[in-house]
Amino acid sequence: MAETTTMTPRERVLKLFSGAEVDRPPCFSGMGNVTTAGLKEFGYKFAALHSNAKMMADAAAATYKLTGFECGVVPFDLCVEAEALGCEINVYAHLEDILYPTIRKKIIHDEAEMETVDIPADFTKRGRIPLLKEAIKFLKADIGGEVAIGSYVLGPFTLAGQIMELNDLLKLSFKKPEKVGRLLETLAEAIILYAAELEDAGADYITVREMGATSDVLSPRVFKNLILPHLQKIFSRIKAHTVLHICGKTNDIAVFMTESGASAISADQKNDVAETRKKIGSALLFGNYDPYNVLVAGTVETVRQTVRKCIDDGVDAVWPGCDIWPTVPAENIKAMMDEVINYRR
Amino acid sequence: MATEEKRQELLGRLKNAVIQYDEDGAKEAANEVIALGMDANDAIFNGLVSGMEEVGRLFEAQEYFVPELLMSADALYAGLDILKPHVRQLDLGVKGSVVIGTVEGDVHDIGKNIVKMMFDVAGFTVYDLGRDVPLDKFVEEQLRTDSDLVCLSAMMTTTMVGMKKVISDLKAKNPNVRIMIGGAPVSSDIADKWGADGYAKDANNALKDAINMVSSLKKMKEEAEAKKRG
Repeated sequence: MAETTTMTPRERVLKLFSGAEVDRPPCFSGMGNVTTAGLKEFGYKFAALHSNAKMMADAAAATYKLTGFECGVVPFDLCVEAEALGCEINVYAHLEDILYPTIRKKIIHDEAEMETVDIPADFTKRGRIPLLKEAIKFLKADIGGEVAIGSYVLGPFTLAGQIMELNDLLKLSFKKPEKVGRLLETLAEAIILYAAELEDAGADYITVREMGATSDVLSPRVFKNLILPHLQKIFSRIKAHTVLHICGKTNDIAVFMTESGASAISADQKNDVAETRKKIGSALLFGNYDPYNVLVAGTVETVRQTVRKCIDDGVDAVWPGCDIWPTVPAENIKAMMDEVINYRR
Repeated sequence: MATEEKRQELLGRLKNAVIQYDEDGAKEAANEVIALGMDANDAIFNGLVSGMEEVGRLFEAQEYFVPELLMSADALYAGLDILKPHVRQLDLGVKGSVVIGTVEGDVHDIGKNIVKMMFDVAGFTVYDLGRDVPLDKFVEEQLRTDSDLVCLSAMMTTTMVGMKKVISDLKAKNPNVRIMIGGAPVSSDIADKWGADGYAKDANNALKDAINMVSSLKKMKEEAEAKKRG
């Protein structure tokens, strides 16, 4: 059924972020949502998107144009900050399959190097940071009048796990938290600088992806003492609307997440969001469908049921638990949009 | 020979060293085990593994998290490295070799390493391909080593999909190979759909599954020994 409202997807998302009334929950994301259908329109290869601003913007805009999914988000990978700090990345250019870039060479190899890591003076000119700014400008010019434009940064702990061995980082969070804390402080500064560039280019909202700090991995106590203060600093310095995303079961830290200063918090499919809603009161909560098992591998009926459950559980926006897997079938994403538009609690 | 009392003391020290992630404690106790001529298998299974079982329980109860798990694993390895050369060759009636790795595109290897640890403990020959492993490599390595078990790990939704192809390639080349998949985004549904024989959804489950495997191996070993005696 077509929508009768006059609110554009852009107005709806921006109103929601500013705490105003909206006619229904938006259906959007702060994480990657490129689709193979979108790539096909342009004849682009996934591996080529990451290093070309125009292609990145085209691929991001195609999702909205083809499906009505209510946003435009770049980039698609998690390596921008680490690369600008000096890591080497692998985009798997030799493969036809869709593989997301990873870090090939880290910059911290031992405990001592944690103390010497520095933000390069020209940090915001390095790696793909200028390219990302350009991509946001293209995206904004293309669909920015209709939808909100989003981008994301890593949280400091997750970024630390990109530039050093995660194994060591986790053990040191326990054995030498002061040392890890100093590293996070440095990385928080880098993240703030990068986020300012994204904002400057026109990002309407920025998601901070602190995926590595899930309670599946770290105790809520470590999250609160070691990580939360740095997140608070980051959110206090970003002027755009913000979302804090953490993977896995996050109900034990949901209240801390709302104390981070983010405009909204985001939960994935492993988390019971009905419970989250009870814990956090009226704070903005986005979530929490499974972007592979439901959206790609599920039937149209599973998709519809899942959307209804998200809304019944009390989310303010129907939003995926992670990046959307690109091979999403057109009928599933259509069913999701249709259900969000027409379902009322 | 160690007295029963001394045996119990050393088993308790090994167990506690693992629980309290005390690498030095594990080394000291393991060295005493060897000096006294105690059975290394006994020390591994009833000391170190028993400690790891308790760590698994603490993890499940959310008293321990991944950092503690990793530190306990370090303590277990500290003891295992000393005890292992003294383990008698076991005749388990299974070939006991496994190919393990994290699929291409994924650089997370903590879950994989925990599963690997339990195979090491069980005396399996482990062919660890590491992380970010090209998919064909799993098939090649399985054929090269004729391993009866292949374990694939993926930590992210965005990397999990590659496992589907490896499973079908492996099964096509060798229908008898058993395949276990693991990682945060994996479900039993996916394991079924893609034709895997087993799955572990997180580090704790990987640990539990691996412990179950080790326990059933222990049982087989005991049965084999009983048969020998009988």
